[in-house]
Parts: sequence; structure tokens; C-alpha cells
Amino acid sequence: MSLLGRIARDRVALAGLIVIAAIALAAIFAGQLATFPQDVDTYHTAQRLLPPSAVHWFGTNQMGGDIYSRLLFGARITLVTAVIAVAVSVLIGVPMGLVAGYWSGFLGDLLMRISDIFLAVPQIVLAIAIAATLGPQIQNVILALSLTYWPFWARLVYAETRNAKSEIYIEAAIALGASPWRVMVLHILPAIAPSIIIRTSIGLGGTILTASALGFLGLGPPPPSPEWGRMIADARAFLPGAWWYAAAPGIAILILVMAFNLLGDGLRDVLDPRLRRHGSPKGASFD
Amino acid sequence: MRLLGLIARRLIWVPLTLLGLVVLVFMVSHVVPSDPARILAGENATTAQLVALRHEYGFDRPLPVQLLRYIVAVIHGNMGISLYTETPVAGEIWRRLPATMELAFYSMLVAVGLGVPLGVAAALNRNSWFDHVLRVVTVSGLAIAAFWLAILLQLLFSMWLGVTPVQGRISDFGPSGVTGFYTIDAALSGDWSMEIDVLRHLALPVATLSFPAMATIVRFTRAGVIGTLGSFFVDYQRAMGIPRRVTVWRYVLRSALTGTLTQIGLVFGNLLAGAVVVEAVFDWPGLGQFAVNSILQSDYNAILGFTIYVGVMFVAVNLLIDIGQVVLDPRGR
Amino acid sequence: MGGRIATSCVGAAGDGMIGGSDGRFVLGRRELALGAATLSLAGARTALAGGTGKFVTANNNSYDTLDPHVVFDIGRIASRLNLYDALVRWTDDPPKLNMWLAEKVDISPDALSYTFTLKDAKFHDGSPVTADDVVYSIERILALKKGAYGLFSSVVNPGTTKAIDAKTVRFTLTKPYAVFMAVLPEMWVVNSKMVRAHEKGGDWGGGWLASHEAGSGSFRLAHYDPAVGFSANRFADHFAGWGPKYLDQVEFLGILEVASRVLGLEKGEFDALDGYTPYDQIRRMRGKPNVQILAKPSLRTMYFIIHNRRPPLDDVNMRRALCYAFDYDGFINNLLDGSVARNAGIIPDPMWGAPKDLQGYTYDLDKAKAALAKVKGSLRTLTINALGGYPQSGQAAELLQSGLAKIGVTATILSQPWPVVDAKLGNEKLSADLIPLWRSAYFADPDNWTGYIYNSKQIGRGNSSFFSNARFDELTDKALVLVKQEDRQPLYEEASRILVDQAAGLFIYNTNYYGAFDKRVRGVRYCPIGDAQDMRWQWLA
Repeated sequence: MSLLGRIARDRVALAGLIVIAAIALAAIFAGQLATFPQDVDTYHTAQRLLPPSAVHWFGTNQMGGDIYSRLLFGARITLVTAVIAVAVSVLIGVPMGLVAGYWSGFLGDLLMRISDIFLAVPQIVLAIAIAATLGPQIQNVILALSLTYWPFWARLVYAETRNAKSEIYIEAAIALGASPWRVMVLHILPAIAPSIIIRTSIGLGGTILTASALGFLGLGPPPPSPEWGRMIADARAFLPGAWWYAAAPGIAILILVMAFNLLGDGLRDVLDPRLRRHGSPKGASFD
Repeated sequence: MRLLGLIARRLIWVPLTLLGLVVLVFMVSHVVPSDPARILAGENATTAQLVALRHEYGFDRPLPVQLLRYIVAVIHGNMGISLYTETPVAGEIWRRLPATMELAFYSMLVAVGLGVPLGVAAALNRNSWFDHVLRVVTVSGLAIAAFWLAILLQLLFSMWLGVTPVQGRISDFGPSGVTGFYTIDAALSGDWSMEIDVLRHLALPVATLSFPAMATIVRFTRAGVIGTLGSFFVDYQRAMGIPRRVTVWRYVLRSALTGTLTQIGLVFGNLLAGAVVVEAVFDWPGLGQFAVNSILQSDYNAILGFTIYVGVMFVAVNLLIDIGQVVLDPRGR
Repeated sequence: MGGRIATSCVGAAGDGMIGGSDGRFVLGRRELALGAATLSLAGARTALAGGTGKFVTANNNSYDTLDPHVVFDIGRIASRLNLYDALVRWTDDPPKLNMWLAEKVDISPDALSYTFTLKDAKFHDGSPVTADDVVYSIERILALKKGAYGLFSSVVNPGTTKAIDAKTVRFTLTKPYAVFMAVLPEMWVVNSKMVRAHEKGGDWGGGWLASHEAGSGSFRLAHYDPAVGFSANRFADHFAGWGPKYLDQVEFLGILEVASRVLGLEKGEFDALDGYTPYDQIRRMRGKPNVQILAKPSLRTMYFIIHNRRPPLDDVNMRRALCYAFDYDGFINNLLDGSVARNAGIIPDPMWGAPKDLQGYTYDLDKAKAALAKVKGSLRTLTINALGGYPQSGQAAELLQSGLAKIGVTATILSQPWPVVDAKLGNEKLSADLIPLWRSAYFADPDNWTGYIYNSKQIGRGNSSFFSNARFDELTDKALVLVKQEDRQPLYEEASRILVDQAAGLFIYNTNYYGAFDKRVRGVRYCPIGDAQDMRWQWLA
């Protein structure tokens, strides 16, 4: 049965996948779906802080911009940031972990010690330091997130590679004279792929949370960018009056991250039933 | 013996890791060229004053030399002068540490105190409505942005219902005390109205921080207990006729706690991370607020000091957890 | 201006008499013949149970330092106003200058020599305020070169201020300076013995004074935490005495989030807010049962500082294009609900020296584009440095960014706390292209808005716009040397017109002061200088 088919059978994963697809489509077609697409950077000061209505589904912000439309364009920023940051982290961390795990010894130890340094502080702390130094722009956020996330992957893949190496069929392949690269790519990688895929989904959710926290602190893309975290920060000055302004972006984040988490959970059930019983090995990131 | 080996290995690697962290953060904070001497001297300084200031702080030395000087200073506990307040960074961090520690402590207490029993209960009543409701709650808890939850709770309880204060740690200035934990110091000085005030101020920040932590602990405890319940060892116990309750209390719980202990390091890290934004929302005068302010002010010394402090704390906590694990479960996994 | 002024003052501000049980408080006049005006009270009075409790103010700025000589702004003024005294003091609206620590002043005919006779005042530690303390204080300001340094640097040289005897001190200026008396309130007198005792390595006690106080002011520091704020207890032995009712304790908290401040006032946690509360919130609070709003015309203009030296902003056409690209109407009437008045120039229109029929800029994109076309240099992305914690600053930034986008100029917005922006202001390299902020009245003289911030001699100090215009310099220099208001007025009017013609800054509005107080607050003596944070007059019912 194909992977997609198996996912479709698991209702939890399916729900997550549908929500993600819906939001992604909404982001792509933001221009068409938005009721006031120009509100991303133009203002109508006379319509400020209007409550939700038939015209403005989620109300307006302090400059008169339609919140619903800005949310849609903000989804682009959120998804792009998370996808690129996670992709870069995976592309750096996975090969590093593979190599270090396969040739354990000094090289392996060194690579793991380097990742330990990055992991010595919680991700957001280091990400804040990096993003603040480089300045509030979307590229810097992505860079900060990538630089602080690759060690998780390196560590995870390192542990899994070492486990996989002791499997009999891997040892057989090596004994039969397969080159290390062949073993790593054709044998080990597919074996650990489920683990990577599951954690990618959950990692996307976590990255969205961290990225919006950076935006909330003012380290994300600058105004008038409709980044979700920044919208929440802006909304604070107008509480408790304009509560819809703070609620909408937060709910958007909640739905999107929950979808990624559910997808990850569902994938875990589908791809690797073993993991369901034992929980995760120590040191690897849970969520 | 295993314990000694563990400690020995750590004692070698921990300082090296922290050293690496110092180098890393130093490099990060010097990526963008700036002139901290200018900020220190103020807008009216003459060129001669600037040169003197640069020399005094060592800004005119090449970067590797600055790094070495800094490492030496850190080892002596001196993290330099804050470029912004012109007071020692270490002192500032030390002064704010209790605020964050109190917050983290109570959040952890609530998360574990509520999370473990809930997780065990869910595991023992698997697939019941209680289990399903708990799953929904924990999944949301892991998906919710901490800063948004803080704002929501503040909106609901402080602004609309008016039952909790809007911000801060206490209504006035804190009790002069020994521990720095207002809850303890106020109790020690017998000032019960102050104690109530402190607890009221703690309520929302602790609720915000403990919610995602509790979600993680519930999930792990549940998974751990389910796993143990299904294990061969427990089947053997049952076969031997030992009643279920005994089995649960003696073995299942123990393994569940071991599993939870593993996660506490991770949870603690998330707590520290969450504290940064939660302190910003509630104006909590702790390390998180210090970090945010330092970053806004481009106060490099403060940023470095903060990151290293957090690193030291984090590493220390993880070491304690590893030791605790070995003590609790000498068999290993 | 009308509005609901639900305060009952301890005394009327008009003729300067305080109706109190004893004592008269005679206010001085602004001309230089101040010798006749004295401030006296009939000895020390033992107040009969006049204390009315603790007064808590939620302020939008945190108090990162208590040193009165290193900061010079309204956001952090509460510590200086309440913990320290100066030789003279501003009170009331319209602002009046009173003798304070000084009993009287003799001014030499050439206006170069000011001899002050001090009253019998005590510092908080009981030691008397002497001429030596005054000398130490001015020397400290001149040495540290921070805070209000720019107010004195051009006329007072180090070492020229002399203590004639314990109660007499003489300032010798290098040239006549019409505003010397007006700026003297920012020369806070510190306890020289105490500060000297804590000097370390030539820092003039700066390390210590940042977190302690050595003053003689109405209140004495009790607690200080830069992360929270400060609290101070009434100084019963203050030389100016106390009325029948006063505050026992004052507390100032730095709370950066406006919703927290507003909510705290509504719930009774705070008794007052700062003067920068957004009008949205003021309007919302108007109906609340335990809040009173004090509305007064103020002397604070909002404008954008334009970096006049950095291309392409060094081209007057570029600056004019900016001024035509800002939606004044949308900002004032929509975002601020008409609560402020358009002010085409930099001097607030109610102030003398503001030209009466000044034609300012309007929101006209065609004119903006036309001006832009004349710019010779190449265009680039401009940086707008908004003040974090002041929502209006951010809104003005976004509005300008939007207008500029319509004429093809891109701008990025960087939001930072005021102390951070303040630290960069005098620095030509670090200061941003555009900074939306306010020019408050630090002294009630048109020079506060003109010469101090646009004269080329003040570049690196008060002149954060790096503006330089020969005719403007000539006018403002001369106006400082002249004595009579009727002579100075036309000079300032012409200077103001130059600023508009040259688009030295983007001038937006003159604000009104909207003070939000708890219903129980009485005795607020609003003064545009100090924003009603001078706590010695107030009490709680």
C-alpha cells in the first residue's frame, strides 16, 4: 500500500494533512482569496480597529488594514520561513549525522561535540542572539532558525545510524564489499527515513512557533509585513478593546501547528508502529 | 561505578562545551560591526575620550585577543560591564536570576505535579473519554504559541474578569529576603497579605509556562506507562499472582518516572525558552526580560553573559538528570 | 481648552497664590528682573496628619538610571523632578519660572554674571545645600558631557563657576544667553560630599549615582530596581515645606506595555499614567467610574527628525518630497481622532515666536513626485527608526512608509526603545534617516524648538538633524543674546519659516496633554515642562 494510502487510512494524519494543504493553498492563492489584497501595505486610517463584520471578516487593525487578508499573506511568510529553515537544517544535519554515525570514532565524536555546543542553550535563546545581531529581516530569521536546528538532526541521525549499523543486514552488506556511501545511502538512509519524516512534520510545527516568537519580539520581518507574530505584538496595545486583532493570528498559528503535530503523530503510527510503544530515545527531540 | 564513569566523562566535556559556546556567541555578536564605545561614551564625547574608552575596554585589540581576555574574565566570574547600564553584567544577571528561577520552579512543579498523575490515569484508562479529552488538550498545549497563550490569559483573567493582576511580580517592591523567591521570603517574614499578592502575580505566568510542559509530561508518562504495562516483566509479575495495584505502584510508576526524568531536561529547556516571551508579556523582571532588553539595546556583553549563564544552567540541570537516571535505574535502558 | 478637569487644585495657578493654611507661594516672572521675586514659606510647619498615602504612577519608560546628569528627557523625568532640586523650577501652565533653591539672583548689567543666593535647604542626609554643591554639580555636567550638557556647554566653561561663600555662587558666562535662567532647572544640585565619596577612577561617582541618589528633593529614595522602577518617601524637612495635604510615598514603575498601564489604572493598581497615553485609550477611559482625564493644551510638537547630512536627504528637494508624502489629515483626524492640532512649524502655535500664518506642507503626492524629480543624487531605501513603546511613533512611521511607497521610495522601519534611539541621536553615522518623535518643552522659550535643535553649533548635542543653515544660525544666535521678547520674537518667526522652507524636519502636530488619573487624585499642577510628574503638589482624597 502506498504511503499516501496508509496515511489516508489514519484519520489523525489525514486531518492534519488536509488542514496543511488547505492553508498552503490559501497562502498560494492569497491574492485571489483575500478580500482586500492591497491591505498588505496600504492604509485606510478611517477604518481602523473595526470589529469583525460582513465586510471585514476578522476586523481591521490599527491602520485600517483588513486582518483576514493580511493573515492570508502572512501564511506565506510563515510557511516559507518554516519550510526553508527545516529543509536547510535537515540537509545539513542528516548527512553530518550519517557520516558521524557510520565512521564513529574521532570524527564522529567531534561532530557530536560541535552539535552539543549549539544544543547547550535552548534553541530560541541562540536564535534570538543571531537574529538580533543580524537585524530584523526574513532572511536572518531563516538563517537563525537553520543554524540552531541542524544539531537536532545531526544528533538524531547519528544515534539512529549507529543503531542501524548493528543490524544484521547492514553488516552483511558491508561484508559483501559494499562501499560505505552505498551502505549509507541505499541501506541506512531508507531505514531511518521514517524517523526523519515524522520528525520533519513535528519540526515544522515547532519551527513555526519559534519563528512567530521571534516575530513577536520584533526580530522578524519589519512593518508593514503581515507576519503573524508581529501582528500579535502590535495587537497588544489595543487590548482589551480590539480583542479580535490579537485572537486571529494566534488561532491561525494554533491550527497550523496542530495540523503539523497531528500529521506527525499519524505518520508515526503509520510508518513505524514500533515507536508507538517505546517512546523516543533519549536525547532526540520529541517535538 | 557507572556513576563515577559518567561524572568523569562529563567533567571533561562540560567545560569544553561551554568554552565552545562562549566562542560561538562571541563570534555571533561580533558579526555586525558596531561601535560600543560610542554608546558607552554618549553623544557628546570627544574623539580623545572615545579612544581612551576603547583602550580601557579593550575594543581596540584584535578580536582573538578580545575573545581570550573575555574567556579569562568569565572563568573568574566577571562577564564584563553592560554597555547600557554600565554596571557589571554578572551582577545584573545574578539579581534577576531568582525571579526566573521562581517562575521556572513553580511551573515545573505544576507541570510534573499535575502531568504525571494525569498521564498515569490516562494510561490506565486507555481510550476512555478521559484519555481522548486529555489527548486533545495536550495536542493543543504543544501547538499553542506561549506568548499568545500569555496574552489570552491576561486578556481573560486580568482584563475581563479582573481576578489577577495585569503585570509584574508583586504590587510594590519585593520582600527583603534570603532566597530571592518571593513566595518563601514573604512567608518567612510572616507577611501573609504580601504572600497572597505574590501568588496572585505568579498565577498567570505559571499557568502559561506550565501548560506546554504539562502536555509533554502527560504524553510521555502515558506512553511510558503503556509501554511498561505491556512489557514482559509486568506480565511475569501478573503471572506470579502479584496484584495489579502493587504492580502499578511499584514498577510501572517507577519506570514512568524514569521516563519523565529523561524529559525534564528537555522540558526545562523549553521552560527557559518560554520564559523569554512570557516575561516580556507579563513584565516579569527576570532573565528573559533582561535578554529581550539587552538585545534591543545591542548590549553585546549582556547578551553574551545571558547566553553563557543559560548554558551553564542547562548543562548543570542535564548533568543532574543523567545522574538521577543512573541512580533510579541502574540497569540502564 | 475645556474638557473635564475634575481636579481641585490646592491653589489656583493664575495669580500664583496658594490658598493654604499658611504660607504664600509667590511666583517669579520670566523677565530677567527676577531679583524681586522670592519663594518663601513661613518656616517649617509641622503638618497635622496631612499624609494621604502612596501614589503609584505607571510610566511608559523604565528608569534605567537615577543619575540626574546623564539623561535629559521627559520619559524619565520623574526621578530628577522628585529626588532633586535645582536653583529655579518651572511650575504651572502657562509655565512660570520660580526661585527654588536660590533665594534671589543678581544679574550683572552685561548679562554675563549671575550671582545666586541660596536658601537654607538640606540634603536628604541632613547636610546643608551649599554653594560648593552647586559648583560641583555644574562641573559634573560639563565633565560628563551627557544629559543636559548641550544646554550649558556653549556659555559655561569648566572652572568658571565660583562659590563666593557658603550661600553664594556665581556663574560667569562666556556670552549673553537669554535662556540661561530658563534652562537652569535642568542643573540638578547633587550632594557633592556624598558623590565624591563614591567616585571611582574619575567617573564623578557615575557608577554609584546611577542606582542611588544624593539629592535634596521633595522625596527621598526608598527602593530602586531598574527592572521595575523606584519608590520614594516624603522628605519632611524639605525647605519648601508642605501644604496641609501631601503624599507619604510616591512610586514610579516602568511598564512598557500600554494595555497593562491602562488596565492597571482602571483597576485601581495605579493612580496616574504618563503623558503619552494614546488617545484611543484616553477616549476609552473617559467613561470609567474611577478615572479622571485632565486635558490641557501642551507645548509638545511631533515631528520626524530628518538626517540632513546623509544623501539623498541632504538635497532640499528630497526632504520636501518627504514632507508632501505624509498623510497629515489621516494621521491627525483618523488615527488620533482629531485630538491634536496640525502644527505646520516646529514651534507650537500657542508659543510666542511661532509665525501666525505659516503655510506648511500638505499631503500632496503630485507635489511630492515633482520635488522628487528634482533630486540630483541617487535614491536608496530610507530607514525610519520608530520608538518602541510609543504606538504613535510606529503609526507615523508606517504612514510615511506607505506614502513614500506611492511615490516610488522604499523605506524600512526599525523599532527600538527610546533610550536606544537616544543614545544614537548625536552620532552622524549611527543615527537613522528618519526618526518620528516629539519635541517637548524643556524650557518655555522658542529656542527650545529652534536654536537648541537646529543651530549648527549644537550638532552632536541638541541638533540631531545635522541641519546647518547660515541665516538660521545668525537668527538664533542673535535671539539668544537679546533680552526683550519683542526683539526676539521676529527672529524666531523668521527662523521657523526657514525650517519649513528648507524642510529641515517633517512637522506634524502640537499635542494636547491628556493625563489619566485615578478619581481620588487632587492637586495636580500641570506644567508642560515635567508632564505633571512633579509629585509635591498632589494628594489623594
